[in-house]
Amino acid sequence: MKKVVALLFIVALAVLLLYVVANMPPMGDPENPTATHVISRYLERAEEETHTENVVTGVILNYRGYDTMGEVTVIFCALAGVLAVLGRERRGVIHAFVDRSEVPSSVIVKTMVRFVVPFIILFSVYTILHGETSPGGGFQGGAIIGGSMIIFTTIFGLYESSRRIPLKVRASLEGAAVMGFFLVGALGLLGGGNFLTYAWPRVARSLQPSLVVWLTVLVEVGVGLGGAMVLISILFAMIREEEEIAPAP
Amino acid sequence: MGTALNLVLILLLLATALLAVNARDLLAAVIIFSVYSLIMALMWQRLQAPDLALTEAAVGAGVTTVLFVITIFKTRRREEE
Repeated sequence: MKKVVALLFIVALAVLLLYVVANMPPMGDPENPTATHVISRYLERAEEETHTENVVTGVILNYRGYDTMGEVTVIFCALAGVLAVLGRERRGVIHAFVDRSEVPSSVIVKTMVRFVVPFIILFSVYTILHGETSPGGGFQGGAIIGGSMIIFTTIFGLYESSRRIPLKVRASLEGAAVMGFFLVGALGLLGGGNFLTYAWPRVARSLQPSLVVWLTVLVEVGVGLGGAMVLISILFAMIREEEEIAPAP
Repeated sequence: MGTALNLVLILLLLATALLAVNARDLLAAVIIFSVYSLIMALMWQRLQAPDLALTEAAVGAGVTTVLFVITIFKTRRREEE
């Protein structure tokens, strides 16, 4: 009986979804609501209004800055939730389950990781700072930094990697993404505009383009650093094993 | 050429999605899911969304997989008891 009800429910859901898909406008049609609404304005005027060559970055950070601020807040809240459940690591007694692995990492792996991680971090710096003109940006770059630290932690253990990025640094940088947005928004208010508008009416017109670019870069760097630190802190909170909690060998 | 590539990608995507759901071993499911994310990143690139492709490759295939693996290693299956 239960199975029949479940099957009926699934079939009904499938019919509904397929009906909606069949009624969707075809992909790439110029008559689409997505193509006739605000996209044309973005494509035509994004470069002069946001002064970024990559329209996607202009849309994410400038036109839809409020959306991105909300997303960044969600990520920050995720970290707060993880830390509330799992807690921070304490200095001195921290171990990760990777430290206790029966298979030690070989010299080849260690050398490769030590060699490659700086280049990954360099690439993420490029992704963050060049995000205005090429695909990428703060969030992607932050995720790449987080990935590089994950590789480092799985090979060298929690002790070594939390020495490289100590708790003090992480705790003060975790809020960098949210703080960056609020700082730029508040600066916009001081400059005589609206919250998060990037355009300051009180500043001379000739200075506007470089001002917008620098504010965008500030937000990008904030999002990158904040995202990276949030990911690293979640990883550390998840793999830490303190001496007294760890099971006896 | 383009259509054939799209077709192969969609078939691989469907196959990895079904395999990830049906896998008995959780670790295998997570690894297949990371392959799913990689194919998804290729799809985003095909759909001309390179920003999204970068995010999917870094977060979906990289960070999430590691977090899932850590969770599996730190928890126990109930059947073992």
